Amino acid sequence: MTTSLASLSEDQRDCYQELTNVAMGQAADRLARLLNAYVILPIPKISMIENSDLNMAIQGAHADSRVSAVCQGFIGSGIAGEAMLLFNDTSFASLASLMKYKGPLNKQSELELLMDTASVLIGACIHGIGEQLEINFNQGHPVVLGQHCDVEELLKQGQNSWNKTLAIEIHYTIEHVNIECELLLLFTENSVRTLNKKIDYLLD
Amino acid sequence: MNLNVLICDDSSFARKQMARALPPEWSVDVHFASDGVEGVEAIRGGKGDVVFLDLTMPNLDGYGVLEAIRKDDLPAMVIVVSGDIQPDAQERVKSLGAMAFIKKPIDADKARTVLSEYGIMTGA
Repeated sequence: MTTSLASLSEDQRDCYQELTNVAMGQAADRLARLLNAYVILPIPKISMIENSDLNMAIQGAHADSRVSAVCQGFIGSGIAGEAMLLFNDTSFASLASLMKYKGPLNKQSELELLMDTASVLIGACIHGIGEQLEINFNQGHPVVLGQHCDVEELLKQGQNSWNKTLAIEIHYTIEHVNIECELLLLFTENSVRTLNKKIDYLLD
Repeated sequence: MNLNVLICDDSSFARKQMARALPPEWSVDVHFASDGVEGVEAIRGGKGDVVFLDLTMPNLDGYGVLEAIRKDDLPAMVIVVSGDIQPDAQERVKSLGAMAFIKKPIDADKARTVLSEYGIMTGA
């Protein structure tokens, strides 16, 4: 492993943040139309993190809550990564009512809500980033990582082999209702080099 | 005297993108601000006849800048340039007095269209 991946320059970080801003705005717009609500956009967090720090970051954000999570891989132009959407379990009731979901809220119906939201947010966000970098990402099938579990439990199954990677964290909340979710985009170590080249080209 | 154009965005990449998108033949003085507080200050200092304003910024966001302009009746024509393209966001900024809304990412065509549509740059 070379040392060039140790950190991002301030310009690179800024550029990733701006590309993410645009992409997450497009994703929020899709979600807002689906839910007929206003999505509050945060300033996304861009960082190069270690595997262990990632676990801590996720656990920190969801320390006392039960979560449900979906992940979906994406690949294109020599860049590969994984998108992960974590939902606070307290969000489902509001989500169901905004989606005008009739019928009882059980594990199956919550799964549908989770998958619907994930496909909108992940799809639009990945597409938005790809579009700005002129990469056509193909998406894999979404996979449910777990429903109503402890974050610790959830992360145990994914002890990955990578050391350090680029993480993009977006914390979405919906105005006036109790819906909170976290979209995490992680790129493989090799992808980050290619991505950084594209970013440097934009910065030129 | 040249028109003063202010580009207010917390991202230096976005400020550069915006500056590049301005029509090259438009003779203006371009100024920059990296958050809402700096933006309002620059407008008070006469550097923002036309303002290209981002919404999501630290310290004071774009909505806050629009409120300050309205409250003190500052002479600025504001064009919001944002990645928050939700219909609600566009309505909110218009109701706060923004003249136009451009969806990020900005490019030269979008800038030219708005500048000519609102008669800010004649002959555009």
